[in-house]
Amino acid sequence: MSLPEIALALLAAVAIVTAASALLVRELVHTILWIGIFFVDLAAIYFLLEAPFLGVLQLGVYAGAVTVLLLFGIMVTRKRIFSREAATGIGVAPLALAALTVVVLATALDELPSGNVPIQAYPPTALSTDLFGAHGPWLLLLGLVMLVSVSGAIWLVREGRE
Amino acid sequence: MAVGVLIALGESLSPGTYTDVRFTWLHLPAPPPGHPGAFPNGFSLVMGTLVDPLSALMLVVVTVVGFLVMLYSIEYMRKERGLPRYYAELSLFLAAMNGLVLADNLLEFFLFWELVGLCSYFLIGFHYERPAAASAAKEAFLVTRVGDVMFLLGIFLYFAVYGAKGPGLGWAASGFLFVQGNHAFLAGVPAGNPTLLTVAGIMILGGAAGKSAQFPLDVWLPDAMEGPTTVSALIHAATMVAAGVYLLAVTSVFLGFTAFDSLLIVALGGITTFFAATMAVVQPDIKRVIAYSTISQLGYMVLAVGAGFTMVGLYHLFTHAFFKALLFLAAGAVIHAVGTQDLFRMGGLRKRMPLTAAAFAIGGLALAGIPPFAGFWSKDDLLAGVYSTLGSHPAYWPFFLLAFATVFLTGYYIFRAWFLAFSGEPRDPSLHAGHEGPWEMTVPLVILSALAVVAGLFVYLPGFQALLLHGGGVAGIPPVYGTTQLLLSAVGVSLAGGGILVAWALWGSGRIVPTPSAAPAAGMRRVLLARYGIKSAYDWLGATGVYTVARAADFFDRFVIDGAVHGFERAFGDLSERMRRIQTGLVSDYASYVVGGLLVVAALLLVVAPYLVGRFGGG
Amino acid sequence: MTALPLGGFLALSSALLGVGLFGILTRRNFVLLLIAIEIAMNAAILNFVYFAAFAPVPALGLTGQEIAVVLIGFAATEVAVGLAIVLALHRLRGSINVAQATDLNG
Repeated sequence: MSLPEIALALLAAVAIVTAASALLVRELVHTILWIGIFFVDLAAIYFLLEAPFLGVLQLGVYAGAVTVLLLFGIMVTRKRIFSREAATGIGVAPLALAALTVVVLATALDELPSGNVPIQAYPPTALSTDLFGAHGPWLLLLGLVMLVSVSGAIWLVREGRE
Repeated sequence: MAVGVLIALGESLSPGTYTDVRFTWLHLPAPPPGHPGAFPNGFSLVMGTLVDPLSALMLVVVTVVGFLVMLYSIEYMRKERGLPRYYAELSLFLAAMNGLVLADNLLEFFLFWELVGLCSYFLIGFHYERPAAASAAKEAFLVTRVGDVMFLLGIFLYFAVYGAKGPGLGWAASGFLFVQGNHAFLAGVPAGNPTLLTVAGIMILGGAAGKSAQFPLDVWLPDAMEGPTTVSALIHAATMVAAGVYLLAVTSVFLGFTAFDSLLIVALGGITTFFAATMAVVQPDIKRVIAYSTISQLGYMVLAVGAGFTMVGLYHLFTHAFFKALLFLAAGAVIHAVGTQDLFRMGGLRKRMPLTAAAFAIGGLALAGIPPFAGFWSKDDLLAGVYSTLGSHPAYWPFFLLAFATVFLTGYYIFRAWFLAFSGEPRDPSLHAGHEGPWEMTVPLVILSALAVVAGLFVYLPGFQALLLHGGGVAGIPPVYGTTQLLLSAVGVSLAGGGILVAWALWGSGRIVPTPSAAPAAGMRRVLLARYGIKSAYDWLGATGVYTVARAADFFDRFVIDGAVHGFERAFGDLSERMRRIQTGLVSDYASYVVGGLLVVAALLLVVAPYLVGRFGGG
Repeated sequence: MTALPLGGFLALSSALLGVGLFGILTRRNFVLLLIAIEIAMNAAILNFVYFAAFAPVPALGLTGQEIAVVLIGFAATEVAVGLAIVLALHRLRGSINVAQATDLNG
């Protein structure tokens, strides 16, 4: 195995473990820690895929902002931060459904070419040329949609508070 | 004025030629041959208006009587509730009646025929909160329905007979159009099936009998007197019930009847005339007396049409409309004034209501056929006409004699009503003191009285005569007074006068004190009041026959249809009760339904679709 | 130039999606639900990124990385909206347990 392959295997294992841990631990603050690690791990995968801009974005937005937001959500909705969730049983049906979905997706793997595929270079300069050049107006439009969503979120929080 | 227009119209006609005015609103052309919807004979549907002598005559009757009744209604109905409904229904009726008269083909005629029947139902049941009125409305609707179904069958049969003759053949091929000369044209074509033709005629006769309350479908008209008197005057005396006679006239002019049908029509007319008159003899209810006399007079018209004197029949319809509407409106004035319809409780109204008494007397004289009143001229002409056919049709004899005997009865029963209501002294002190109505009620009475006096003489006006002569079946127009006819007239007038005299002797001379109608009837009087048991027979038929069928249907409905329905209901109810439970409100559960659905789609795409493609071959 | 197996990446994102789905289906705490959704979302973004890396020929002129950028932005917005819902739910019910917010119960 080459070095990148080993790195990928490690990062993938960490991603799955941290994701699962985030959902399974009963202390919500630990959940935030796990999910933070998960986001950082994904950023590392983006670097591995030679998408440094996305890696940085992932670190900034996900590992930074989203994690803090989630932590904030937990803090304002509880009296004590370090309190344990009531144990939630793992139902058979949800597990089976999730597993079945993975199996269905995995069937697609059979049809892929085996062996390694070289990664095409797509430097951040090219990304920015595409994103803010040809697709700039659309990006603006999407930004507008996000702005509306966030405004809605603010309204939702303010509503009922006279 | 309308009468003047009519006469002017007649004068404008050039003698000896048939004139009509035809507008077509709607023409559904026949599909081209070979088209799956095409009739073999190129039949097409038409809707339009046709003004010919027959409809011109009817139009005058409908509009004149309609206007006067509307005017009269203003006062007569003033205190009623539901007036918008009343006037709306009356207007709808007038529109439908005009449509019927102006229809230019048999299907359109049938359409309006049903509409006037519907309006009649509405208006009889105007006081629907009264059980008697509601049931009378239902009865009228159901009994005329029997006739309507027969009429429709008659149309089908005529279509079957003439429609099978091939393309381009007159009446059927042109979409049931009323075309003058069609009768003669069809007579020249060998009938495809003479028996069927006869049956078709019988069916048409059945339709007419239902609408014109001819024996044995006559039970509904006396009961229809539950409606307001104005409605009785307009619908059940002057116009709608005449539609049956008009149908017979139209059919005989445009289609022709077979000899057997003619005999049947004559028989029906004669029998109805006599038996309705006998039932009128004992009636205690002033409106019912007039109702029976309407049936009786309609019988005369049917008789005339059957004997081939179509235009004479319509001439009698014309005069009858005026004097019968007059009688009804006069009776309405009495009822309006005293508040009862029971003749035995009235009496002595002549002094308080002289104008109404005079109007009723004029109507009665016209009805009885005393010259020079309107009824004399038309009825006399009618009877003379039927008499003239007796030589060639001896089978008409008994019906002619029945019709002739009825003249006596007519004079008797109508003046019995007059003497009971107007002469003598008031018998029931509890009644309101009678008084004349306001001008809205008296003006129609005066106008109709004038018409009841002079309408019979119109036949001698050249214009009117020309109009009558332009219709079909013009025998007996104008009346010719030879020796035989003078003799017949003399006998007829004496019979009517005799009837009036007997009425005076019994009820007007003060020799018999009228007994209250509540006394139990006995003997012949009981039979007559029970209408020869025909109504009871219908009731029995309804009660046992229909009830048995209804029970069976109810059983079927309850156990088979309802069983199935309730089974479905229960099954889906259970199902929905179970489906309800999956709506837990828990977002996780909804998410799992989404994932489950995705998996089903995936299974379909990945497993089922490849299998099917492999099994049956891909596209 | 680095070469990596495409199948491995796809297996990774499938597994992550499975984990996220499992969380969505079982967790009752709304914040945990949000986290589970984020995991599933990241699996999707990951897919876009490595398809961009392995097959850079843009379909419809859009590269996978561009979509990923937009999606990350969207995910942040989504978390903002989700947290607003968390706060509203907390104010209304005093709890962010979705098992108690079952107004759609039939």
